[in-house]
Amino acid sequence: MDCLILGAGPGGYVAALRAAQLGRSVTLVEKGSVGGVCLNEGCIPSKHLCRFAWAKASAERFATSGMPAFAGQPDMAAFQKSRAAAVRTLVKGVAGLLEAAGVKVVSGQARFVGRTRVCVEIGEESVRYFDFKDVVIATGSRALELEALPFDGDRVVEPSRALEWDEVPATLLVAGDDYIALEIAVAWARLGSAVTLAGSGERLLPDFDQDLSAAALRGARGAGVEVVLSSEPSSLRSKAERVVVSAGRRPNVDGLDLHAAGLAPLATPFKVDTQMRLDRHVFAIGDVTDGLQLAHRAMMQGRVVGDVLGGKAGAFDSRAIPRAVFAEPEIAAAGLTEAEALARGLEVTVGRFPLAALGRAVIESSTAGFAKLVFAKDGGALLGAHLAGPRSTELIAEMALAIEMGATADDLALTVHAHPTFAESLMEAAEVSLGRPIHIRPPRR
Amino acid sequence: MARYEFRLPDIGEGLAEAEVAKWLVAIGDHVSEDQPVVEMMTDKATVELPAPGTGVILEQLVSEGDVVKTGSVLYVLETDAKISAAGSEAAVHAPREEPQAATPAAADSAGVLAPPAVRKLARELGIDLASVKGSGPGGRISAEDVKRHTAGAGPPAVEAPPVAGQRVKLRGVHKRMAETMALSAHTIAHVTGFHDLDAGAFAELAARLRRDAEGKGRRFPFDTLLVRAAAMALRRHPIFNSSLEVERSEIVMHEDVNVGVATATPDGLIVPVVKNADKLDMDALAAAVDRVTSEAREGRASVSDLQGGTFTISNTGAWRGGHGTSLIKPPEVAIAAFGRIEERPVVRDGKLVGRLMMPMSVTFDHRIIDGEQGLKFALTLRELIEDPAQLGD
Repeated sequence: MDCLILGAGPGGYVAALRAAQLGRSVTLVEKGSVGGVCLNEGCIPSKHLCRFAWAKASAERFATSGMPAFAGQPDMAAFQKSRAAAVRTLVKGVAGLLEAAGVKVVSGQARFVGRTRVCVEIGEESVRYFDFKDVVIATGSRALELEALPFDGDRVVEPSRALEWDEVPATLLVAGDDYIALEIAVAWARLGSAVTLAGSGERLLPDFDQDLSAAALRGARGAGVEVVLSSEPSSLRSKAERVVVSAGRRPNVDGLDLHAAGLAPLATPFKVDTQMRLDRHVFAIGDVTDGLQLAHRAMMQGRVVGDVLGGKAGAFDSRAIPRAVFAEPEIAAAGLTEAEALARGLEVTVGRFPLAALGRAVIESSTAGFAKLVFAKDGGALLGAHLAGPRSTELIAEMALAIEMGATADDLALTVHAHPTFAESLMEAAEVSLGRPIHIRPPRR
Repeated sequence: MARYEFRLPDIGEGLAEAEVAKWLVAIGDHVSEDQPVVEMMTDKATVELPAPGTGVILEQLVSEGDVVKTGSVLYVLETDAKISAAGSEAAVHAPREEPQAATPAAADSAGVLAPPAVRKLARELGIDLASVKGSGPGGRISAEDVKRHTAGAGPPAVEAPPVAGQRVKLRGVHKRMAETMALSAHTIAHVTGFHDLDAGAFAELAARLRRDAEGKGRRFPFDTLLVRAAAMALRRHPIFNSSLEVERSEIVMHEDVNVGVATATPDGLIVPVVKNADKLDMDALAAAVDRVTSEAREGRASVSDLQGGTFTISNTGAWRGGHGTSLIKPPEVAIAAFGRIEERPVVRDGKLVGRLMMPMSVTFDHRIIDGEQGLKFALTLRELIEDPAQLGD
């Protein structure tokens, strides 16, 4: 065999498709369903739930304009059917693409039994051996539990399970301060649960810009979430009917027997080079590698490794990996925060534009957010963008492109943005950084 | 006993660093003065560095494969000898520098202002974007900047495809050959003319001179006569003994006639140079050709013998070569290539006869030499070879 890819998540299946496109013969091993955690129990179903909850919140924003409030409880059983159907549609789509590309999909759990050979356990009894020239480890990650709050599969669960409930829990404790915890807390609160979000740190979204953490806190409270910070989440468990723990994720490498592949001992997450290489013929992508554990990062790495396997000069050199948080308000970031830029010794100019000064935000009663752009000093390139407000998760794409292109504040300020849209906030923030804002008063000199 | 730190001396004009090719002795070994201790490989040649005095090797501070800068300490010698830093006073006092591993090509371009498509282009061309000057606002690099850089800076070191197969690191002589030839192909407007030379008399002369030399216990390389012919032709056509400085838009007409002799070595192509080839008598010329080509083949050419060429000849006769084109060695502007002398059917006075013929090709840089000049030079070479009495003996 030619190329073996372990794991059919967003990293693995993209790598398989690209490598096959470039003429490699590819076998993809997956123990679950193609699409991996992202499609089956992560991004897709969780955003489905967030959007579902947001539909209700969104109607409420127009209550003062005369829109009647939603009557009654959402039908969660119907939602779960629709969620499962959406997942099925997408899994079928990926499976169809793999088949059309001639990628062979093998169901089972793989482990190395040599430098160029894996053993795939298919079911309980049967095993098959595969020899490969190149192998890509794309086995993803799984949820970590807290010592004080171990998963019990029922009352205390990992985030994926919290997307499957067909009843709104009366009371819910969400332990965690990351974007997963925040999204679940806000969604279930909107759907009618009494939610407590308990973080052990001093702020929500600790790895985001400070201002975004503050916006997330205000937004969660506005959505009815009780937020408790600097706490010991397990002390609050007795209050809640259900408990969700989001404590980070751990690479799935235990069962791989890397030693047999001649790789051990390697620290996880793996540190790979720009071609995603661990060893001459061993590559790793996605959550098993060092960096942000995000599906779209894995997908890009999958394309890169596919290119490399196909003999192209592929390299993972993204300057900005966007992060999107589907809470209230939506929060998104790409590139460096002001603090990170300063820590790297860069001199920066920051432009911050509040949504309160934006027509579209006033119409939608969503004036709590802002756009905060970090530029290299003296007309330099955009280094980072930090957005809070409706559709931030879409707007961040323009910011990621701007960072990749080396766009300056002038480039953004001189690009016409449609009116009235939330995207205007980006142009306005660029103008602020240049000291010539139109729609807010210039800072006093 | 005293400790003497042996530093990498200046081993050639303009060479700031060299690679440690091989340690010839181990730590603890006793070495005598002038015994080779370490073999260094530069872009151009392999050089053995002899011990400056008798003593014991205490430490080796660099490893094989390290690229070290001039002035770096290579090893420490414990010695009684009073070692004068003859000629390398500056080197001895140069600040110590750590050995540097060869930098991987274009791995980390983070921080360079260039859009993704341009970064991809640079990857494909094997260019480190940090070395490209951006023409956009704030130094933003465009695709045009990268292409301009390629045109100016020559050889694209194409990223190795990650396919199976044995890999051989391109370095030293081999790497230099790759870079020089790519630069040549990228920048020079090559035009080649082919000629069949009636070389019976030439072959006879060469054989006679060889017999004479061997009678005196000396060697007489065949290339000697080709170098002599080239040197004489160059004197008559000085434009062929020039180089082009593009940045200054100037042609430099060289005063010395230094003829390089393309020499195949196990490490790759190398071109040792016979200096002032036009001023040496036949015996001296033969000795010079013999010395520089032998040393080059044995991988011990001195750096000075590899520099300063103004023209190159390439003789493939020994390998039964026929007609072929050549790449000019920048900054030279021409090269002449010769194939094997063989008996061929030709027409003389209306009759088909067998004659000893030699294929010759003359390749010149059409940026500065026009077709007529090119042909005239080739005709001069032809006349000299077909009527070798003019070459003297």
